[in-house]
Amino acid sequence: MDERFVLVGPRPEEAPPEPSIRILPEIPVISWIVLAVLLLGCLCPVLPKDPAYMDLAHTSLPPGKAFWFGTDAMGRDIFSMIWYGGRISLFIGFAAAGISALTGILFGAVSGLAPRWLDTLLMRLTEILLSIPGLLLVLLLQGMLGKPNVIRLSIVIGATSWTGIAKVVRTEVLRLRESGFAAAARCMGGGFFHILRWHLAPNLLPSILFMVVMNLRSAILTESTLSFLGLGLPLEVISWGSMLSLAEKALLSGAWWMILIPGGFLTAALLSVTSIGNGLRRWLNREQSNL
Amino acid sequence: MRRNPFLYGLQKLLLFLASMLLLSVTVFYAARLAPGDPLVAYYGERAEKLTPEERTQAEERLGLYDPLHTQYLRWLSNALRGDFGMSYKYKTDVLDIIGKRLNNTLLLGGTGFVLIFALSPVLGILCARFEDRPLDRLLCRAGALSSCIPEFWLSLALILIFSVWLRLLPSSGAYAVGKARDWGDRLIHLLLPLTVVVLSHLWYYAYMIRNKLLEEIRANYVLLAKAKGLNRRQILLRHCLRNILPPYFSMMAIAVPHILGGTYVTETVFSYPGLGALSYESARCQDTYLLMALCLFSGGAVMLCGMLAQAVNERLDPRIRPGGGMEVDHFG
Repeated sequence: MDERFVLVGPRPEEAPPEPSIRILPEIPVISWIVLAVLLLGCLCPVLPKDPAYMDLAHTSLPPGKAFWFGTDAMGRDIFSMIWYGGRISLFIGFAAAGISALTGILFGAVSGLAPRWLDTLLMRLTEILLSIPGLLLVLLLQGMLGKPNVIRLSIVIGATSWTGIAKVVRTEVLRLRESGFAAAARCMGGGFFHILRWHLAPNLLPSILFMVVMNLRSAILTESTLSFLGLGLPLEVISWGSMLSLAEKALLSGAWWMILIPGGFLTAALLSVTSIGNGLRRWLNREQSNL
Repeated sequence: MRRNPFLYGLQKLLLFLASMLLLSVTVFYAARLAPGDPLVAYYGERAEKLTPEERTQAEERLGLYDPLHTQYLRWLSNALRGDFGMSYKYKTDVLDIIGKRLNNTLLLGGTGFVLIFALSPVLGILCARFEDRPLDRLLCRAGALSSCIPEFWLSLALILIFSVWLRLLPSSGAYAVGKARDWGDRLIHLLLPLTVVVLSHLWYYAYMIRNKLLEEIRANYVLLAKAKGLNRRQILLRHCLRNILPPYFSMMAIAVPHILGGTYVTETVFSYPGLGALSYESARCQDTYLLMALCLFSGGAVMLCGMLAQAVNERLDPRIRPGGGMEVDHFG
């Protein structure tokens, strides 16, 4: 009797794979460890040698017992420079990410809450800003601010990377302002900043946290690229990027340790920040869908 | 509510022109208000040694004495007639200089763009098809690594390996001296920069496609297609892929400044004579009109691509169209 009927529809074993449910959210353990080591190493006040001291008797030495990572063309100890330079690279990264997050949230919130015409105008402005390649924008801004130092460079990088956050915040604000609680807060006389701080920000946080972490990564990247091109920090201010700005000469002499070691640390930092950001996003999304 | 295609086009055109105008004003004022001396760009080192009288004369000849808005309006009225000014450094029409360099950048950026968009769906589909299997995991790891390596450092490492250690490939330029027409030679010079451009962008797009596809294969229509008896490949390629096409096209539009910006750094490291290296140079030495032309060019290209993506999206997905969702259009 049963053979007469053909089973229509998906068979149980062929059901589309359920999203795998894990009890613990995936935490990128290795990345956290790498980042922690980098941070601790960079904040450690004791360095084996003075990173700025130019030992002219020992220039361009390959890695060895006395100089663990070798020395650069000016006789500076690369091992000490790595940790000292990381301090500045990471500081610029965090400062620029903070500036861009603040600017982005404010701009996006104003644009989302403003009347239609102002909103259109502001969004056009960000589109124009996005249409100029980032490097040019940084150059223009830097020309206006003057000779780069650590603070100015953070401001320039932060001021050129907020557009992505602003767009996301605007979309979220447009969605949230339709909601009952925002209207209620306004009816009770809550001002713009009150609503932003107490009602919109908590709802925005999950969607922009990931972007802020990604901005941290791109700020570190931008700083090193700029310093490498000779547009960022000057040679005597040590950062991972400015250590690489001597790389063209190192290429000629085949001094691989001057190129590969700082670059390796830079890449390790970028990789760990990225996977932490991705893990964070997965974790936040999971929570959201469970609610 | 049927929209008038003519009015729609006109609206887009006006928007485009207004944006370009705003862009040119911004770049002009930013470049001119920045500290620095256009005369240095014009005379090079000799600018330091000019007597005050010569200086005044030169400034008058270049029209630097007029107030900024007069200078801008003069540039604008010339630009409307097709004259975008003269480069201070090269002393010729900016369009000539850009024209000479454009081929190189188009070759590098264009080939990179095509490769990225041919390879990223392949990788994305492979990952989605073998989700959470070893192949997917391997690709994800390798991709994450490749997108995290800074472009300039990847360039340096490749030069170190292939030019310094193995002596296989040239480390700079677009062609060897006297071989401008030799395509084989150009290809050899293109190989390293192209690798950098493709490697540093590929995973970003492949990963987006992977994630979009993963969302898509959990939808109910996949179940229906399966019940209909289609196999996995047919479902993925015929149904899921079609659904992610609109976001894919928007991605392509966003990719233009992204990849263009990438070629800037790469061109500079490889001393590749393209627009990127040129913009970098013109911004550094106050070559205002050249910089403006370059910004307008890249900005215009980006905006055009954005509009193109929107138009294609509207064709593919009628719901996006401003006229509303219910309208049925008769197109092929």
